[in-house]
Amino acid sequence: MTGGPSIIRKPGADRSNLELTNSLRSNFLAAQQDYSPPQATTPKSMTNGDFKETSGEDQLSSRPQVSIWTTRDGSDYYIPTIDWSLSGLAEEPSQYEITVKLFYLPGTAVNDRAQYTKDAVELVLKELGVSSIDLLIVSFPGMSFEGDCEWEADKKNSEQGNDKEEVATWPALEELYKQGIVKKLGLAEFGSEKLNRFLTKVQVRPQVDQINVKDCCNVPPPLVQLAKKENIELLTHNDCTDILPSGTLRELLGQGVRGAGVLSESKRGLHGMKGDIKPNWVAKYTAVVKDRGVVENKGYFAVAELKE
Amino acid sequence: MGLLALGTPLDWPEAKQNANQVREWGIQQLLAIWNRAKGKERDALLWGDEVEYLVVTYSESEPIVKLSLRQADILTALAEDQELAKNGGCVPALQDIAVNKGTPLPVFHPEFGRFMLEATPGKPWGIGLKDLLDVEPNMKWRRKIIKEHMHADEFPITLTTYPRLGCPGEFTIPYYPPSGEKLRSQFVPDEIANPHIRFPTLAANIRARRGRKVQVNVPIFKDENTPWPWKDPTVNYDLHNWPEDDDVRNGASPDNFIHMDAMAFGMGSCCLQITFQAKNVTEGRRMYDQLSPLAPILLALTAATPIYKGFLADTDVRWNQISRAVDDRTAEELGEKPLEHDRWRIPKSRYASNSTYISEDPRLRKEYLDPDLVIDQDIKQKLMNGGMDDRLATHFAHLFIRDPIVVFNEDLQELDLTKTDHFENLQSTNWQHLRFKPPPADSDIGWRVEFRPMEIQITDFENAAFSVFIVLITRAILSFDLNFYIPIAKVTENMETAHNRDAVLDQKFYFRKNPFPVRVPRPYSSNGAQSGTNTPAMSRPPTPSGPIEDEYMLMSIDEIMNGSSDESGNEFPGLIPLVESYLDSVNVDVMTRCELATYLDLIRKRANGTLWTAAKWIRHYVAGHADYKKDSVVNDQINHDLIGEVLKIGNGDLKGVRDVEKMLGGLQGCK
Repeated sequence: MTGGPSIIRKPGADRSNLELTNSLRSNFLAAQQDYSPPQATTPKSMTNGDFKETSGEDQLSSRPQVSIWTTRDGSDYYIPTIDWSLSGLAEEPSQYEITVKLFYLPGTAVNDRAQYTKDAVELVLKELGVSSIDLLIVSFPGMSFEGDCEWEADKKNSEQGNDKEEVATWPALEELYKQGIVKKLGLAEFGSEKLNRFLTKVQVRPQVDQINVKDCCNVPPPLVQLAKKENIELLTHNDCTDILPSGTLRELLGQGVRGAGVLSESKRGLHGMKGDIKPNWVAKYTAVVKDRGVVENKGYFAVAELKE
Repeated sequence: MGLLALGTPLDWPEAKQNANQVREWGIQQLLAIWNRAKGKERDALLWGDEVEYLVVTYSESEPIVKLSLRQADILTALAEDQELAKNGGCVPALQDIAVNKGTPLPVFHPEFGRFMLEATPGKPWGIGLKDLLDVEPNMKWRRKIIKEHMHADEFPITLTTYPRLGCPGEFTIPYYPPSGEKLRSQFVPDEIANPHIRFPTLAANIRARRGRKVQVNVPIFKDENTPWPWKDPTVNYDLHNWPEDDDVRNGASPDNFIHMDAMAFGMGSCCLQITFQAKNVTEGRRMYDQLSPLAPILLALTAATPIYKGFLADTDVRWNQISRAVDDRTAEELGEKPLEHDRWRIPKSRYASNSTYISEDPRLRKEYLDPDLVIDQDIKQKLMNGGMDDRLATHFAHLFIRDPIVVFNEDLQELDLTKTDHFENLQSTNWQHLRFKPPPADSDIGWRVEFRPMEIQITDFENAAFSVFIVLITRAILSFDLNFYIPIAKVTENMETAHNRDAVLDQKFYFRKNPFPVRVPRPYSSNGAQSGTNTPAMSRPPTPSGPIEDEYMLMSIDEIMNGSSDESGNEFPGLIPLVESYLDSVNVDVMTRCELATYLDLIRKRANGTLWTAAKWIRHYVAGHADYKKDSVVNDQINHDLIGEVLKIGNGDLKGVRDVEKMLGGLQGCK
């Protein structure tokens, strides 16, 4: 699944995955409109890319066939179809700072993460038409920076996640680093204790730790000290760790009014797929023109597994 | 101010006779720039801020504060400082500036008012987000350096206007009597202006062209004990030194308005201006258009001008006063007499809000433009013949309806196409709320846009906050392809609205409901462009349809800045959340983000009323002063104490300053 840039940010909507879900939903809708035969769509009812509210029945009857706007390539479905001819950046790759953040979603096997990492980076390289990226940040499941005060958040953090699995995942990233495909590696949501433990167990050290603190003026002092000592850059973000729960994904792809109609929920599904869907990973990528600070390209890839 | 060329300036009737030649040569120079630089590409974002200061003499024991006219002496002291000179120097008007390694010294410039100084960073800022944190310390450094080259009782302050400029009695040091030959003002002496020949000539020729003195009338704030109708008690109806002294006898000073009569009342104001370099001419034109609708909002948000000539005004900002202070339109151009000698009626002063958009953006609908825009058709045709497109030619043909005001005899001998002096002569005396600046001659500088509406703030923390906000919103505009277009006439209306007392909270402004881009269909799909095009990038968004009135609505500044509330049923995202989305999309380190959050917090709270504008704080300060008699009069004692508090605030010493927390909150900027 792919999603283009989305900038919907409701004031006060903290750490929301709204950006991802909006991005996916609007990309699905856009593809449905673009690839449908013109008479089947009603572009006049559009206002700035959004469908006007219509009843569920109308929506169902006007929804184009899934096969028109998605692609099946062997056992892989692309939702929507990716037109690679539209990919690429406007200027020389050296003009950009390209960052990819890869979310390993909960409930996926550690053994699969090497493949996920390779797939995610490959898709982004293809999408942007580049041969390397500047920074790859990985987000492990079950991690957060929560607590009433940031000290407490740092403490709680040390018990979260799974050190062993995280360390076991890292060689896949180190490999990309050694190949020169990724220039810098980064972690997300590592508090001081976890980070300290992690550093002793890896060959290629992370150069970035991306954290989400409620009040960024209150970064836990132990983390600040450690980062300074180990020369690790502390960056901010506003993503949630569980960025694509399976319920959300099912709704996005399902037959509901706001769904894409890809996934069957009942016998009514005509061309839809059936079965359990399990999201595996999400990759968020941004390409920023370095000396102008302009985000030229931003989007998401999400991959899920369908058990028929 | 522009270039300070030396020469023999022509008096008005003679300057007027040469106006056509200056315009003609200006157009040729513009075309030379255009053809040289229209393809200039991939310039980095560089930007600069300009902070302007008033210089006052203040001591706690001395009851009367005065404006110091020692601008030239202070600049000389800065230029002659051996230590500063060793580090490269900092007064380009008086010395060559060397580019040394390390952080270059700030740069100091003269300004129109002889009581003013301007300071800019020694080199432009970049977009490294960490660079943004250098702005505030740099501004503080500028203030410190200036102070070190003043007398002990002289201070730089960042108030927009001096509250008692033009009051009867002595308000300058040294003292000069008013009613001089150049300004012919009842209230201020000729010596109030920078003595460089350009400035008195500018003032004199504006007056001469206009046929009378400028009229800067500001409505008086009506307090409980303000006499009504209010007649400006400082106006002298019995003065007979100059023919222009008849102006007040002919109704120049209407009831209920504070009356001012000289350029210094406007051009003696301090502003906060930001200039950006665009990647190319296309991006520059787009930035110009997109920033245009933001200008009235930022004007109201930065409101800091509630006092003129010793009286509380009923408006909060400086803009229209400057506009009137340089309004050189004749009675015919103003529509007071039938057109006989002049070529057209002109609806706005040469200092005014923008009157047109300049981008070739397909989102710019022709309905947004002013169908009655006054342009010089002949000049437009010349520009188009020379290769400029219709829209940009229209913009310059509008600027060139004006006469050049200051013409130096020496410059009329020969046209030099490698220079831009004649073009700049008109360009730099068209003071619109944005200025589109072509690359200068002999330099690698690119196309630039200057954002001019903001009022200077009392502290460098605030000045840095607003500067940084403007930089960030431009990045969000470019990154997210935002669209703020509304009809240009509505922008003009908003600029007027922004003048109202406490407009930031009490007024609503026209703003575009949905700033997000309309999706471009995939070019090879059923609904995309199917004309066999092989350049997908060329595909245009679908032509917008529907009445333009549906695209915008009246919004409060809170809604524009912070986003629509859930209850409102509107969906405007808010400029600050858009900036935050931008920051979420780029890699920012936590400390930088924290500092930037403080800046955004200040602006957020100004917009939602949690914090007061400087205008509101000053009003409250005056109202709460023991000497204030609720009669709109700001006397010497109130002025003295107000300036004393402003000095303390400007130095970061907030202790004991009444209500200062209501203006600044507990907010602290970069150290």
